[in-house]
Amino acid sequence: MFAAAALLAATAAGAAIPAEQDDCLGCHTDPKETFTLASGEKLPLSVDQAAFARSVHGENLRCTDCHADKTSDHATGEIKFKTRREVTRAYYEQCKGCHFANYTKTLDGVHYAVMAKGNPKAALCVDCHGAHDISRPAQPRTRISGMCSRCHQAEAEVYSKSVHGRASAANPDVPVCTDCHKAHDTTDPRDGALAMRTPEICGRCHSDEKLMKKYNLSTSVVETYLADFHGMSASFQKGQRKADGKRLAAVCTDCHGVHDIQRPNDPKSTVMTSNLQKTCARCHAGASATFPRAWLSHYAPTMESAPLVWMVQFFYRLMIPFMVGGLVLQIALHLWRVVVNR
Amino acid sequence: MSKGTQIVRFSFQQRVEHFITMAVFVLLCMTGLPQKFFQSGWAHGLVELFGGIDRTRWVHRFCGVVLALSTVVHFANAAVTMWSKKAGFTMAPIRQDFDDAVLQLKFYLGMTNRHPRYDRYDYKQKFEYWGLVFGNVIMVATGFVLFFPVAFAQLVPGQIIPAAKVAHSNEGLMAFFVITIWHIFNAHLNPDVFPFDPSMFTGKISRERMLHEHPLELARMEGRPVEELLGHAAPDHGSDRPHG
Repeated sequence: MFAAAALLAATAAGAAIPAEQDDCLGCHTDPKETFTLASGEKLPLSVDQAAFARSVHGENLRCTDCHADKTSDHATGEIKFKTRREVTRAYYEQCKGCHFANYTKTLDGVHYAVMAKGNPKAALCVDCHGAHDISRPAQPRTRISGMCSRCHQAEAEVYSKSVHGRASAANPDVPVCTDCHKAHDTTDPRDGALAMRTPEICGRCHSDEKLMKKYNLSTSVVETYLADFHGMSASFQKGQRKADGKRLAAVCTDCHGVHDIQRPNDPKSTVMTSNLQKTCARCHAGASATFPRAWLSHYAPTMESAPLVWMVQFFYRLMIPFMVGGLVLQIALHLWRVVVNR
Repeated sequence: MSKGTQIVRFSFQQRVEHFITMAVFVLLCMTGLPQKFFQSGWAHGLVELFGGIDRTRWVHRFCGVVLALSTVVHFANAAVTMWSKKAGFTMAPIRQDFDDAVLQLKFYLGMTNRHPRYDRYDYKQKFEYWGLVFGNVIMVATGFVLFFPVAFAQLVPGQIIPAAKVAHSNEGLMAFFVITIWHIFNAHLNPDVFPFDPSMFTGKISRERMLHEHPLELARMEGRPVEELLGHAAPDHGSDRPHG
């Protein structure tokens, strides 16, 4: 999207607003001028010229590029739309003319699916990007979360108190909504398919050596998870969805939380040692106080951290080659003797 | 006695036990190894074959319980048989087995012309039997820990569970290697029996093979001294006799 916009901006070579706009702006300037729709809502008829000029499209789109049905002598006083939402829904389709790739992505998104089911409130291009005042979405990145929070207030509230949310204002490294949920093909999180992708999603940052070093965090969290029972099960359940009577393996978010993730040493954290028993018991009914010790806390076992596990591992590391080597050697000697005697 | 005489070596029950162990072992490997090598493509193919990881696990657990039960039945049966003196503890590892192994290796290396004379079970068979027995005990015990982790964590320290997982996974892999390398060689690829030793399925073995592989048992069965059976001229009997 940005590449296309940048290309267009370069070719437009500096002109502030294309000259044709004058025809439109001859009428559409008075902010008080509105049209009362059948619903009683007032549709503003003016455009903030300065805001449009500042927008990403300011230098390269003409009014009629989007308002394609309007001619210089279009009728006044007749608008077929009954509500403001209808106006928005009618015009958002114009974006795909240029932004086809992102438009196509939205067809796989949860917002489109909700809209297709008949919910008129489902987010469209302009709901997130704006209309005449479109600017680059990630400047600053927190704008993204702010945008989502306009509809998803409860989630935004929880996120803002999490380890990621608290840092997001000052720190461009932490994830905002779209980093996990995606922007255009936003996944429906309710069926569990997004959760099953969290080892990969969280792993994008949490196995990034350079990034994690900045915060003194371990990058072996994903591999130690995968090496364990939950991770192994989850890798066989990739792409699966929740269903009645079907339990999917625990993924990152099942223990650490979703929007409410905290540092593991935060007393509010679900993975704080003193809270672990409760967290385990959510799936493992009746988990005793020692049960969380079955989980080695994202660390490969060592003689200090888990001596029993380490010793068993060490034993087999010697035993398997010794056993296999010995048997193969004896078979080789046997066959050699048969060949020599022939 | 004619050359083609067949001798009964395994009872019907022993053959059934072997058949169950074989079927269950194959299924356990097919459902267990993909869980160890979950990052490989073939592992995902096998799990798909069983209808997903949950079903794969239920097949694995079912086979594990069958293996546990068959082990218990085997021991109970062996105990009763030995108690009633119908059979001796022929599987017991004895000093002679160690001497046999040393002699056998010397023979393979060409250091002696003497081939060990075996009784009902040779040291290789005893090794495999006791390997399977101890392996079964480890696999069944650790398998139950992994089957019921919450219950076990109430009785033993939590660390037992990941330790059991490491043991189960490695012991299973070792069993797979021992069977594919050692058992397949001895029962199929060994030049003496190639391509297939049917005695565990038919229950019968030829007198000729008994003479060659288990002369001490044959001598006891026929009530004749072993030297007489093997002939004085050929103390180092067998097809793999060195010529030097």
